[in-house]
Amino acid sequence: MRYLKTSEAASLLNVSPNTLRAWERRFGFPRPQRSPGRHRLYTHGEIAALRDALLDGLSISSAVSRAREGLGADTNALVGALNAFDAPRADAALEGALALRSLDRTVQEVLLNSLDEIARRHGTESVQWAFAARWGNSWLRRAQRLVTAGPESATIVLGDASRDELDPDAAYIRALELLAMRSGARVLGLSVRGVANMSEALAAQRPDAVVIAGGALSDDAVARWAYAVRLGAGPLPIAVYRRGPQRARMRTTGTTILPPTPGEAARTVMELVSHAAAGMATRTHTPARLVADGA
Amino acid sequence: MAQDQSARAVLRLVPSTAEDACPSQWFCGHCGAPPPNNETPAPPARVCGECGLGLLLEARADTAPKPDEPFMIVDASMAVCALSAASESLLAVAETDVINRPITELLTPADAEANGPEGLANAIMWAARGEDEPRRLMVRPANVFGVRMPLRVGACGPPRAALLVLED
Repeated sequence: MRYLKTSEAASLLNVSPNTLRAWERRFGFPRPQRSPGRHRLYTHGEIAALRDALLDGLSISSAVSRAREGLGADTNALVGALNAFDAPRADAALEGALALRSLDRTVQEVLLNSLDEIARRHGTESVQWAFAARWGNSWLRRAQRLVTAGPESATIVLGDASRDELDPDAAYIRALELLAMRSGARVLGLSVRGVANMSEALAAQRPDAVVIAGGALSDDAVARWAYAVRLGAGPLPIAVYRRGPQRARMRTTGTTILPPTPGEAARTVMELVSHAAAGMATRTHTPARLVADGA
Repeated sequence: MAQDQSARAVLRLVPSTAEDACPSQWFCGHCGAPPPNNETPAPPARVCGECGLGLLLEARADTAPKPDEPFMIVDASMAVCALSAASESLLAVAETDVINRPITELLTPADAEANGPEGLANAIMWAARGEDEPRRLMVRPANVFGVRMPLRVGACGPPRAALLVLED
């Protein structure tokens, strides 16, 4: 995957960086990612698609529309492969998508969108969904194993409240795990069905935050699990992800509701952890200052 | 021996078949502004330097819109390809919402239009096929009745398309 800085992308399109940013505001395309320093990073595939569309286009809008259609072809290819129960072709379609986008965007824009499309077309009781959900979860687990271990800045306990692999939330939860790991977190994924001996797991990992994800299991089961985590690790920031319609029944005081897309959710969790760490540092620092001031 | 003078080939002056040169003009497909110094833009530099939101297109000087005049670009399949900023405010639609939609969702022939209801479609088809001569007709916004707006339709490009300018 090749990334371009704003000036490089602008030069490839023969426009100024300001024009490129104006297109992003008006058309939402090309949509850059952000570097750790919050600078825009464009994927080469998107810029090349837009450049080709501009060459014989009548307007920026129509060129953007054509470039988007070209990129959307990956989703169609994956949906076609999954509908044909062809796992090698599905793997190849996703590899093709990875040539044009980052892993994060491929997961969100191609893989999860394709699974949603299959669920919408055939329903979650269909054999197509059974095959697609199993393939999607397996792909995401393979991708998790390939994440290079870096300096881990946080540990997150993820309580999986999905029914099983065929639960439509399951792939989103795997994606959240993957993207949080890529953001530098160590993720301890546990089913909320398992409560006994929780303190042993928490003593080994010393988590910084808790995420409860999935809407299939009851609030009682989730509450039991959260209580066990609290007993083992003390009070921690809690976030809720894709609890669906059950969310209305939950007491959400003090919890953060994560956005539905896994990329934004992973970012929010990492911000939550860093805010909690900053708050803890302030709390531990304040008494010392008061003593020093003679207060 | 004297030659038969009446059988000799002669040159006669006939009307020229060459077309008259028509001046053309480049304009931005969003704001209508001409390129700096009216120069022909190089192919990779067709993005308008004024607004950055449109591509520079060429049309006959008597068809090309003035800056801030409402206009739209329609292709041979009658789909909207560009909508100027002035058209967006005149028709109260966003360009991004109407791209690739049929032009008839925005404009229809005015009631009691002399050219008949098919006049608009004919004019767009001829212009999108490259007919140079601008045509004029009356239209109304598709969702507004009792309004008549003069429209001039001509060819523009590249690539070839119809330019529809709503006149005051």
